Amino acid sequence: MNTHSRWLTRSLAGAAVIAVGLAMAGCSTGSSGASSRPENVIHVAVYGDATNKVEEQIVATFNKTSDVKVILDKIPGADYQQKLQTIISTKAAPDVFFNWGGGSIQDFVKAGLLLPLDDFIAEDPGLKDNFLPAVFNTAVIDGKPYGVPMRGTQPVMLFNNKTVLAANNITPPTTWEELLADVKILKAKGITPIALGGADQWTTLMWYEYIYDRVAGPGLFEKAISGDKSVWDSAASKKALGYIKDLIDAGAFGTNFDSVKFTDGGSPTLLRTGRAAFELMGSWNYSTQQSADPDFAAKDLGYTAFPAISGGEGDAGNVVGNPNNFYSVIKATRYPDTARDFLKLMYSDEFVKASMAIGNLPTTTNTEQFLDTAADPAYATFQFDLVKAAPSFQLSWDQAYPPAAGTPLKTAVQQFFNGQLDEAGFIQAMQAL
Amino acid sequence: MTTLAPRKRSARSGGPSVGRPGAVWAVPATIFFALFALVPLIFVGVLSFTSWSGLADPVFVGFDNWVKLIADPILTKSFGLTGLFVILGLITQTPLSILLGVWAAGHQKNRAVLSAIYFVPLLLSSAAISILWRALLDPNFGIPGQLPWLFGDGNLFGKQASAIAVLTFVSMWQFTPFHTLIYQGAARAIPPVLYQAAQIDGAGTVRQFFSVTLPQLRNSIITSGILMVVGGLTTFDTVLILTNGGPGTDTTITAFYMYQKAFRAFDFGQASAIAVVLVVIATAISLLVVRLSGYDKMQSAQEGI
Repeated sequence: MNTHSRWLTRSLAGAAVIAVGLAMAGCSTGSSGASSRPENVIHVAVYGDATNKVEEQIVATFNKTSDVKVILDKIPGADYQQKLQTIISTKAAPDVFFNWGGGSIQDFVKAGLLLPLDDFIAEDPGLKDNFLPAVFNTAVIDGKPYGVPMRGTQPVMLFNNKTVLAANNITPPTTWEELLADVKILKAKGITPIALGGADQWTTLMWYEYIYDRVAGPGLFEKAISGDKSVWDSAASKKALGYIKDLIDAGAFGTNFDSVKFTDGGSPTLLRTGRAAFELMGSWNYSTQQSADPDFAAKDLGYTAFPAISGGEGDAGNVVGNPNNFYSVIKATRYPDTARDFLKLMYSDEFVKASMAIGNLPTTTNTEQFLDTAADPAYATFQFDLVKAAPSFQLSWDQAYPPAAGTPLKTAVQQFFNGQLDEAGFIQAMQAL
Repeated sequence: MTTLAPRKRSARSGGPSVGRPGAVWAVPATIFFALFALVPLIFVGVLSFTSWSGLADPVFVGFDNWVKLIADPILTKSFGLTGLFVILGLITQTPLSILLGVWAAGHQKNRAVLSAIYFVPLLLSSAAISILWRALLDPNFGIPGQLPWLFGDGNLFGKQASAIAVLTFVSMWQFTPFHTLIYQGAARAIPPVLYQAAQIDGAGTVRQFFSVTLPQLRNSIITSGILMVVGGLTTFDTVLILTNGGPGTDTTITAFYMYQKAFRAFDFGQASAIAVVLVVIATAISLLVVRLSGYDKMQSAQEGI
């Protein structure tokens, strides 16, 4: 017994030593200054996907003339934000990194990790003036710009199946009343009026974003996100919820939308096979449909702006979605001038042309002159005009809020849609974010 | 010669340390356990008293996380759901795997072939199984779409009861083969003389099963039960892929809620507090099961044979 307990004490002491050792090792990696960063290179981290082709080309162009070389780090898919969060305050942090603007960088700004781009813009006003303002503003936080647009814009549009619409003698709705009338006709014919992959939750969220924008105007969400939670309880907010409820009660989405996903091909297939007539989705829906059935995407896939709501405060030209992706620069970078010069390439003709070639739609002012080089010029022109004319381009709510609010937000959105929460419950959940 | 050697060694060592290796033998396992279980556990305990998003240094906030934890209705609900999953897992998997295990213990050719096929789910990863069943249960293009008389509109993932039923069913499909394997081994180890004696006493197949097989499987039932409870408490991947905790928070079990707090909300302090609670509950349940079942007394089921 005695030897046993002595052995136990000794092993516990050993565990404590290991723990302290690990803790000290953890501390030493925590202090990262410019001096500890690599020499003669800057690291640029991007989300790993098909668009990397353009980024590789731009980096190669840049490295031809620059003494400090750019190294492109492609971080694979879905876990991007998690990985960024774990490395951004360490020595391994990239100098320049891809993000979604808004809430995706807000915590980094608060922690003082990012470089405000005011000085860059003072040295080269083109870093601001050559981009569409509604897009550029997405990465402005507390009045300071923190990001430069670097991929394509992804507005949310109302897609339709032209064959189904023609067979039922309906045209794409331009007003809310027309939408409700179309829903009624389609439902009577046994067709799901609107495909919705509700299990993904962000798909359902898009309906809230547009209806709130049309009914209450973009100001309501702006106030909500800047901390004025009372707006969720306002008359305009309740009116918007009423519109959502009307659409659901009209049977617009069928009954099993919470078991359907967009991400596994469920809802796009409903639209493509004519079992549903409409789907509200981001511009990437075109390439989703194209990879499944190129003929359908080219001939039968229709797209329009979200219908206007008469008497609402929001402009019918307003758009929601992902304005663009952005490059932000960390404060600890050793070569800010190199980062600045690299960012300048984001409005170059070469970047715009390369992006158009793979189906992305950049948001620079010179994009317009290359629209006819796009894979589908009509689709590219429609989107560009939509975004350019938009008085407001609301970033998706789940990206606008910091990550901590993401899950409760999407949960509330799903619960109000399927009836688990009533109006008061939804308002309370939004105020708790 | 070879039969003599061990006898000689045991005769030499003698005394109270017969067959017991010294403490040194436990060193590798202890170091491993300390490094990969105890140290992280200590860190998690410390983190539960801090606020940390992974960005700056953790800030000590006292009992804030714990106070929030007590007031969190989703967490309270998740305990109930976790308990429900554990119980549903136990009552669906145990009878099925005992019956299959005892059946598979027979030495007939067809049983060997069928059990080999039946063990296939054991070879698949949980993620693969979840993706497979998600596709099979798609309301429009899966089985429910073809059998509307059985599944209605096929909204399996949109209602709490059916979502829980799906998760329970998929766990059963995935884990029953494993527990069957345990029971197959245990049933084969039952001495045939017990059955011969029972037959002489006039017991039929059913009576033999309840009076000989089941009592002999007692320790295996406890082992398998503990594995099911611990497995149920840590179920995560099937929930993540099949229901994502939904509809709403209706299948957000505690382990999944911890993941949401840590890796979606980046609230590592709160997540650590949940982790500590999970560790305490899992340990308590294991100890309780061991105590109540008398497993710690290490009684043999074959005493008196």
